[in-house]
Amino acid sequence: MHRTVPSLPLAPSVKVKLINAGFQVASDLTDMRPLQLCKEAGISQEEAVEVLQMLRDDGQPHQQRAATESLTALDLLHQEQALGSIVTFCSALDDTLGGGVSMGKTTEICGAPGVGKTQLCMQLAVDVQIPVCFGGLGGKALYIDTEGSFLVQRVADMAEAAVQHCTLLAEDTEQKQALEELTVEKILSNLFLVRCHDYVELLAEVYLLPDFLSKHPEVRLIVIDSIAFPFRHDFEDLSQRTRLLNGLAQQLIQLATQHSIAVVLTNQMTTRVSNGQSKLVPALGESWGHAATQRLILRWEGLRRLASLYKSPSQMEATVQYQITVQGFRDASDEHRPTPDTSAVSSQLGNHSKRPRTEDLS
Amino acid sequence: MRYILKTRFYFAFASIASCWLTETDCGCLLCLETSRTNRVTFTSLRTPRSREAGLSISRKPVIGLCNTTRAPSGEKGVMVILREGICPGINEEFIKALQSEDIKTVEDFVSCNPEELAQKCSLSYKALVAVRRVLLTQYTAFPVSGADLYEELLSSTAILSTGNPSLDKLLDSGLYTGEITELTGSPGSGKTQVCFSVAVNISHELKKTVLYIDTKGSMCANRLLQMLQTKTPNMEEQMEALQKIKVFRVFDVFSLLACLQHLRSNGLQKASVGGGSVKALMVDSVSAVLSSLLGGKQNEGMSLLMQVAGELKMIAKDFNITVLVTNHVTRDGNGHLKAGLGQSWSHVPRTRLLLQRVEDAETSSLRTATLTKSSRQVCHLVEEFDLCHWSEERRTSISGKRKLEERSKP
Repeated sequence: MHRTVPSLPLAPSVKVKLINAGFQVASDLTDMRPLQLCKEAGISQEEAVEVLQMLRDDGQPHQQRAATESLTALDLLHQEQALGSIVTFCSALDDTLGGGVSMGKTTEICGAPGVGKTQLCMQLAVDVQIPVCFGGLGGKALYIDTEGSFLVQRVADMAEAAVQHCTLLAEDTEQKQALEELTVEKILSNLFLVRCHDYVELLAEVYLLPDFLSKHPEVRLIVIDSIAFPFRHDFEDLSQRTRLLNGLAQQLIQLATQHSIAVVLTNQMTTRVSNGQSKLVPALGESWGHAATQRLILRWEGLRRLASLYKSPSQMEATVQYQITVQGFRDASDEHRPTPDTSAVSSQLGNHSKRPRTEDLS
Repeated sequence: MRYILKTRFYFAFASIASCWLTETDCGCLLCLETSRTNRVTFTSLRTPRSREAGLSISRKPVIGLCNTTRAPSGEKGVMVILREGICPGINEEFIKALQSEDIKTVEDFVSCNPEELAQKCSLSYKALVAVRRVLLTQYTAFPVSGADLYEELLSSTAILSTGNPSLDKLLDSGLYTGEITELTGSPGSGKTQVCFSVAVNISHELKKTVLYIDTKGSMCANRLLQMLQTKTPNMEEQMEALQKIKVFRVFDVFSLLACLQHLRSNGLQKASVGGGSVKALMVDSVSAVLSSLLGGKQNEGMSLLMQVAGELKMIAKDFNITVLVTNHVTRDGNGHLKAGLGQSWSHVPRTRLLLQRVEDAETSSLRTATLTKSSRQVCHLVEEFDLCHWSEERRTSISGKRKLEERSKP
């Protein structure tokens, strides 16, 4: 026990009393009984019991191991190679992301209104359920909707297109067997939907996620669409917003790493004016940019939709084109494919009003 | 006896609670005197900045000041509770009598006057003085002369090259052990990539162990393997280098403190593997766990920030390793970038680098590094480097550009 008392996760008032009584190291406290501690430190009976309980839990092997266990990078490499990724059905984007949306990390999708963020999220919620024999993950999905833009009919269309795609690919008996179980109803029933109306409900939902995940261990994807909406309107204290968002981000990355799931967040765009020029940048401030592990920015360029990978620990930056069809999120068709564009994402102002959805048959 | 101590004398944080200086680098010359009654006092001879920093000059006995590595008991602080048996002459009644006078710790006992104490409670003056002397010798830290400190510094400090000539130029030939270096930058500016490149360089070229504390989930072993594959095609060497990088994943400040304290007490010896001793500790990023605690009505944030800073500094100093941390940036009122975590954290690292993207560059992997705080170089030096070609020097001549184009992507 080498923990110092100021570094223990206790209430500040209790810690001050313990330090004034002379307890500096956690090992000073382990041999104490509650009544003794109560008298010496001047804290209440319940607080004393809580302190000793916390110390006893801390000494448990599995708790301590979390903080002190280390993996070598080699073990980590084997673990990463065993994890799959969630395909987006747009092969160019999958190549950019290194196979798809990676597990164990948080991915942020930013974009102007109407560019396709919710479409991509719904597509991922369907794609995570593709059976393992087809190269998917065979898991369930949790969709936290804060904007009210989730449409079941659209997910049903995407699910049907995915089932058709798998039917065309099925070759051996195992795949055919898996295909029999894969129906639109099953895909929809494996998608858990939560509707949050303001930021308090969102924070509460994230607090409850560890229990939810232990009850449903097959969940492999959590989508929060969008995380910007409840925090942008009606929030007076901006520094409190930054603190809440940072705390939220840390909780999400902890969940992602511990349960090996992918967390996808959607963000909106805002305008920043500098030197007389205006630029579209992701919303929620500068420090939120550090919160997500990967950042994907979707934008318009004329009539084309482009996706740029802006921040990633393992992939190079790249820009690819995609389109939204009846079947969902797909590759751009050949006539519209652009030359490779690796310029840094800077002031590319496109038309950011919502576009009428023309029926694109690819 | 007089011991003269030179400048740049680091004080441990937590053991010096209220009245003493908690910040370091005060640059003042201190003079320690020991008098016959075994009191160690210090007066400051040159105090231009110490007055601003609030250094208190007094005649109170100083216990456990100086470098903690010198403390004989190895304890971090000396607010040790008085219990029977810590020294001969202390028994139950002794402790009870002292507690009735509200004296619970060694520090309280030693700071009070034995004559007054003998009058107030029923203990004999002789016994009090004897116990006091024993406690002082047991718990006082030894002063060290400046010349010895300098010799030790010369022999124990090592400089680890980062592998990139431009960064080495900025850092005055590399990362120094015993110090904290900080990287800041906007999202996507390459802080994690620089950490990876440095880790790979240390584990592969210098064959030393690297400890990597990841708080953001951005550790990607595939990327480390990619970097190693550009350095050597030999699979075994790659695996060996990967085994020398140890990763800890912690996501909140209490786990981070638990991890650092565990490392300081016994973890570092355990972590050295295959003959390569631990030479570097990286924390990516320290702002992810601390920024949600600062500000608002929370009163514990600063204390936790200072505890993390104290742990990092003690690990760097005691084990002679270099500590590299990353920090985020925020925008101030005019829209300029500044490093996160505020003024208090800005005193903690010795050297700070700001990484930025290069606008309108032909390759998107170019970055500039600006030296924003350094004790060895002129500040605001800028160097450009390429994240993809780590060991090459960045040349802006035409021959350099052609070389970059010929190289295939890693």
